[in-house]
Amino acid sequence: MNEEEKNPAIKIENVNIRYGDNRVLNDVSIDVPKNSIYAFIGPSGCGKTTMIRSINRMNDFVAGFKLTGRVLLNGTDIYTDKKPQVLRKKIGMVFQQPNPLPVSIMQNMILPLTEHYRGAISHFRELAEQKLKACALYGEVKDKLDKPAFELSGGQQQRLCIARALMLEPSVILFDEPCSALDPISTHTIEDLLIELKKERTIIIVTHNMEQARRVSDYTAFFYNGVIAEAGQTNKLFFTPETELLEKYITGKFS
Amino acid sequence: MRHKNHLIGDFAGHTYAWASIGLAVAVCLFIIGNVAYLGADIISLEFLTQPPPANTRITTEGGILTPMIGTIILTLLGILIALPISLSTALYLTWYTKKGIIKTIIESSVDVLAGVPTVVIGLFAQAVFTQPWLGFLSTRIHIEGGLGKAFGRSFFVAGIAMAIMILPFITKAIIESIKTTPKEFPEGSFALGATKWRTVTKIVLNSARPGIVTGVVLGMGRIISDTAIVWLALGGSLRMPGAQPWYEPQNWISTLQHTGSTLTTYIFFTSPAGEGSNPILAFGAAFVLIVIIIVLNAAVAAIGLIGANKVQK
Repeated sequence: MNEEEKNPAIKIENVNIRYGDNRVLNDVSIDVPKNSIYAFIGPSGCGKTTMIRSINRMNDFVAGFKLTGRVLLNGTDIYTDKKPQVLRKKIGMVFQQPNPLPVSIMQNMILPLTEHYRGAISHFRELAEQKLKACALYGEVKDKLDKPAFELSGGQQQRLCIARALMLEPSVILFDEPCSALDPISTHTIEDLLIELKKERTIIIVTHNMEQARRVSDYTAFFYNGVIAEAGQTNKLFFTPETELLEKYITGKFS
Repeated sequence: MRHKNHLIGDFAGHTYAWASIGLAVAVCLFIIGNVAYLGADIISLEFLTQPPPANTRITTEGGILTPMIGTIILTLLGILIALPISLSTALYLTWYTKKGIIKTIIESSVDVLAGVPTVVIGLFAQAVFTQPWLGFLSTRIHIEGGLGKAFGRSFFVAGIAMAIMILPFITKAIIESIKTTPKEFPEGSFALGATKWRTVTKIVLNSARPGIVTGVVLGMGRIISDTAIVWLALGGSLRMPGAQPWYEPQNWISTLQHTGSTLTTYIFFTSPAGEGSNPILAFGAAFVLIVIIIVLNAAVAAIGLIGANKVQK
């Protein structure tokens, strides 16, 4: 066990999740080391999206949602604070469908800052340009920063959403199938971006794409029927799977 | 052969659809045209700027100034009272309450209220606003012996009654609009750490804007065309009987505390179908009424568009 694995950025301890009487996750425990990419894979309905959405408390609004066990961010239980919005500044999220707000590109970028901080707009714009550059989007949009964000292509919108999430300098970013609505080239750009981002941040990604998990992630957890069937380093998991179930899944025998 | 049948079916369908549209538009245009033809003659600057005489049964003199202003005042009052209540009710039902007994009760009350005839709302307003302690909304009647009563008929009372009438329609239009908001917008906002209140007021209400506009237009149409509430809660004085001159700012409150009329009751008082014998006046007023409805609808739509453009920038 190396230094990073001893102090995980996110530690999920014996988490059980129910929606009303419907048990979705059973006794899930995962350690997500700092500066790594952790992939959640598994067939539809296995609970991986529920798990990732519980890490920044996006399930709090869902009727009947109940979580037992602990989710720790740098050692602190995220469910003890009454206000989830403080947590969501530290843990960013990018969704399956790109979700820019119906305002301009620049307004999308500075909105998170004006929401939480006071400061000069010119300073915010500068920061926004910096983040757009970090997401390899600035060159493509620099002439239309004040145009509606909806005029961008799907891939560009998704990178805009990633850049927007970076504005609050989160230490962890959650990606819920970020490429499933995108074409292969946009997907490739975003995968490169993920590897770039993990230098300073911790990343958790839910994906249905086995190749993607293999390409970008350092660790993988295989969810099946609400439990973790297998988890560990991605190389090990994909080349020498311990369970027959995972072997079948990664070779595409079921999905 | 089959293909040919389909073509015929297609042609028949198109023809039917166009014929239906044509009929609906033709009826609308015929009514407007007919009212304009019969009423346009009397329209003059004097007709629009003079108050009617005390009794319209015997004379065609005077104009429709006070009923026209009455219509506008009631519309504004009704919308101003109903809109904030509708907005918060809609937001509460869609974002702040979970399924349960309270939600069911509120939702069914809104549905029931939508079906209450306006004459019943007018009666209710009479029953409530004649209470002496609500006298500040209309005028107090002092009787010998000291036991006073409120008159219970005024622009304030009628405005409140109108608001009650349109409340369910605006509320439902806004709820439907909020429900169709794509969930990606609020989710994105939450994920950026925005509070529920900020998300709901900035993101959700903004995308519900078309529903709000629809609700307001619907509500205005109903207020402008209502007669029963005006009859029961506003009274029947064709002029403004409050402190004179009624149009000066210091007398506005007094005017609103007193009775008045709208174009619909004016039509009732002048038309032989109602109480009068001067159809020419009734048609003139009807024409002005239609013009007001068209202008108000256009104005509200324009307000919605201006706001939408601002968001797009």
